[in-house]
Amino acid sequence: MTQQINRRQFLRGTAAGAVLLGGSTILAACGGKESEVSTAPGSPKLTPLPFQASWVNDAEFAGYFVAIDNGYYTSEGIDLAYASGGPDVIPESTLLSGTALVTLTTPETTVKAITEQGAKFKIIGAQFQKNPIGVVSLAASGINSPADLVGKTLAVPPVNTLAVRAMFRLSDIDINDINIVPYQYDPTPLIAGEVDATIDFVVNVPYTIRELGAQASSFLLYDFGFTVFNDTIVVTEETLNNQRDMLVGWLRASRKGWDENFKDVTKYPTLFEETWFAGTGRSIENELFFNDAQQSLIEHPDGIFAMSEDAIAANISALAEVGVMADRSMFDTTLLEEI
Amino acid sequence: MTWPPASRFLRSHAARSIGVYVVVAILWEIVGRLELIGGGAFPALSDILSTLWTERSLYPAHTLATTSSAFIGYVIGNVIAIGAAVAFMVSPRLERLMRGIGIALFSVPLIAVVPILVLAFTGSTPRIILAAVAVYFTTMASTLIGLRDIDPRLEDFVMVSGGSRSDVLRRIRLRNSVPGIVAGLRVGAPAAVLGAILAEYGSGTRTGLGTFLLGSLGQGDPARLWGIGFVATAISAGAYVLLGYLERRLAGKTTSASVMTVTPATLGGTDNQSRSTRALFAIASFAATLGAWQLFVSGVGLSPIIARGPIDFVRYLVSSPQAAASRRRLLEALGETVPLTFVGLAIGLLFAFVLATFLSLRPLIAQGVMPFALISQTMPLVALTPLIVLIFGRGVTTTMVITISVTFFPAFVATAQGLSQAHSGTIDVVKTYNGSDLQVLRLVQVPTAVPYLISAARLAAPRALLGVMIAEWLATGKGLGQLLNESRGLLDYGMIWAVAAISVFIAAGFYAGIGLVERSVARRYAN
Repeated sequence: MTQQINRRQFLRGTAAGAVLLGGSTILAACGGKESEVSTAPGSPKLTPLPFQASWVNDAEFAGYFVAIDNGYYTSEGIDLAYASGGPDVIPESTLLSGTALVTLTTPETTVKAITEQGAKFKIIGAQFQKNPIGVVSLAASGINSPADLVGKTLAVPPVNTLAVRAMFRLSDIDINDINIVPYQYDPTPLIAGEVDATIDFVVNVPYTIRELGAQASSFLLYDFGFTVFNDTIVVTEETLNNQRDMLVGWLRASRKGWDENFKDVTKYPTLFEETWFAGTGRSIENELFFNDAQQSLIEHPDGIFAMSEDAIAANISALAEVGVMADRSMFDTTLLEEI
Repeated sequence: MTWPPASRFLRSHAARSIGVYVVVAILWEIVGRLELIGGGAFPALSDILSTLWTERSLYPAHTLATTSSAFIGYVIGNVIAIGAAVAFMVSPRLERLMRGIGIALFSVPLIAVVPILVLAFTGSTPRIILAAVAVYFTTMASTLIGLRDIDPRLEDFVMVSGGSRSDVLRRIRLRNSVPGIVAGLRVGAPAAVLGAILAEYGSGTRTGLGTFLLGSLGQGDPARLWGIGFVATAISAGAYVLLGYLERRLAGKTTSASVMTVTPATLGGTDNQSRSTRALFAIASFAATLGAWQLFVSGVGLSPIIARGPIDFVRYLVSSPQAAASRRRLLEALGETVPLTFVGLAIGLLFAFVLATFLSLRPLIAQGVMPFALISQTMPLVALTPLIVLIFGRGVTTTMVITISVTFFPAFVATAQGLSQAHSGTIDVVKTYNGSDLQVLRLVQVPTAVPYLISAARLAAPRALLGVMIAEWLATGKGLGQLLNESRGLLDYGMIWAVAAISVFIAAGFYAGIGLVERSVARRYAN
């Protein structure tokens, strides 16, 4: 913790001057921290916890919004500073920079960061038991399995390259038989027939496509052998060692938020229309569809965030198919036991 | 014969330019309504405007956030640029020394910088820095041209009258640089807005046009995306038009009829230095750039996994266990990207030259093109990608279209400026001999504009590389752009820095190469 504070102080002092060679006063004035600890006098002291989400505000993070609004984090002594994500946010990077202490990741990038970059990360829970990443196409195209993609054009966000490679490997298909192009999460080329399929969240985009007057079909990469979690909860070993209680408190409050959200999937997206979902440019109907569709992918008999031994083993073997060498020690299930 | 008032109005300039915009709007509406382009990816004008109107409550917060950051960055970047230009005027050695850093800032791929800035700074700071970086180099270069490019006789006059060098600077050079400064400010306005928007992509901020755009991308609603583009364009077009008005007023005051201006090739200003001195400065400038890189890396205090200095760069490509594999991927990507950059640069410059010449011959039609030119500068390409790939596919054509749109604007503005600066006395001579507009263009204006175009080529070269990379990143999935994007997803910061550094090296090579062409052209035109 002290190391991080030093960095911030250093940054505030030198940021503008060193980088831009001048204009420091205005920059320094604008470069304030996003949220300082806000403790009212007399109330118990809250621990600040910066949290980095993996995407722009949508139903994917409803559970955390519920926990914030209903005061579940405050009850655990946590002052949660929520940062939205987006296509250019690489969540693991925010742990390395100290911008966040807890983040949501895709397991393949986290494991690669551990094995190839020497990052000291631990996975302490998993939001999606089944990865909602899938192949989305127009229903008329009849694409229902990886084999149907041979000879077709598939738009893939570069962050999902590994997952797609794994899916084809597991289906014994040569990836060179598919024309892979970049994807920026805009379904227009799919609807116009410029690409045959896209890689996207199946709990989200099919609804958008229906809103645009077309019918979508989709299948999960998970159902074709890429048996990995998604939105894995990742922390650094340092945070794990020094702030274990806080992390358990965070898991407890977040689980409570998700449980509350899933009691009635129609309740919260509407409530958040003018707050969390304001200005995102997405329709609330889309969030309601999303929230309903994601429930079965998130819930687990052992509680939200569970990581069963079988599921961990499935993750390890699926990742090994594309040379991402995960092992059991990267998953720490002991915090979940303390909830 | 006297015209009735209504008919006189119809023949006035204002009425004719309104007419041009009405025609453009009607054509747009028809093309959009009938879905002639890209199967509905190009929406009708009325759809865009009605979507904008129904969603108007969403805009104020986003617009304010982006505009205020862009404005602060724009002011900071330009103040530093003008200050630097004056310092470089006074000390050409300083300019030689800092040139590498300037080129690096100008040519570093923003898609590689954003994730790092966002990690190193919080709040609006990344937006402000990116907006400032986006405007710095063009303003600095055009100010410096104005400061150096004075009539030697005026300088002699001040010196003979007992004036000092600082009198020359104050009374002649600064005054002479004003049109250049305003031109730089003009080109910078769209760049600052786009810089601020790009910095929002990864910043996790909840307000801003970039954030709004990203949230909207997944909705497949082209009318909304164009609406956001319109608002961004309106901001920069407002600044552009205002500064253009200022430029025209100043142009009337500062260029007197008897002063024959020197070509901007004087930007280099080191013709008389020996080859070895030039080499020495090139090496010193290179070292200064590496020093600034290292300073930035140690200054931001980020984890060594993220922040990599020059030594880490060498280690990554030479001595690390995966060095050979990294080199192979990098070379393969370079082989795809670099040839396209040459072609893209040539076509982008040609396009700029033709458009500027056309503007000078047929101002009205060119006026109709101007809104699209401005949209192309401010509209984030990610929003236009579906449209572009639907029209042009995902091959070389798309790469060229994106590269031209990224490259042509500064070259276009510079060439137009060059054409308009043709000596009016000389033009009159041609006209007196019954010369046509075309002959004026060929005999007077084009020769005046060529040095400006070559000067502009220096600015365009780094952007051509950037343009090819953006096309690869958004549409074709090849080359350096794809490598960069994949590496981000894989947290391979070693490769991100390697791509950034090598693209800066290449851009600097282009810059130096065009500098040689510029010097030889300057010699020809001087005689």
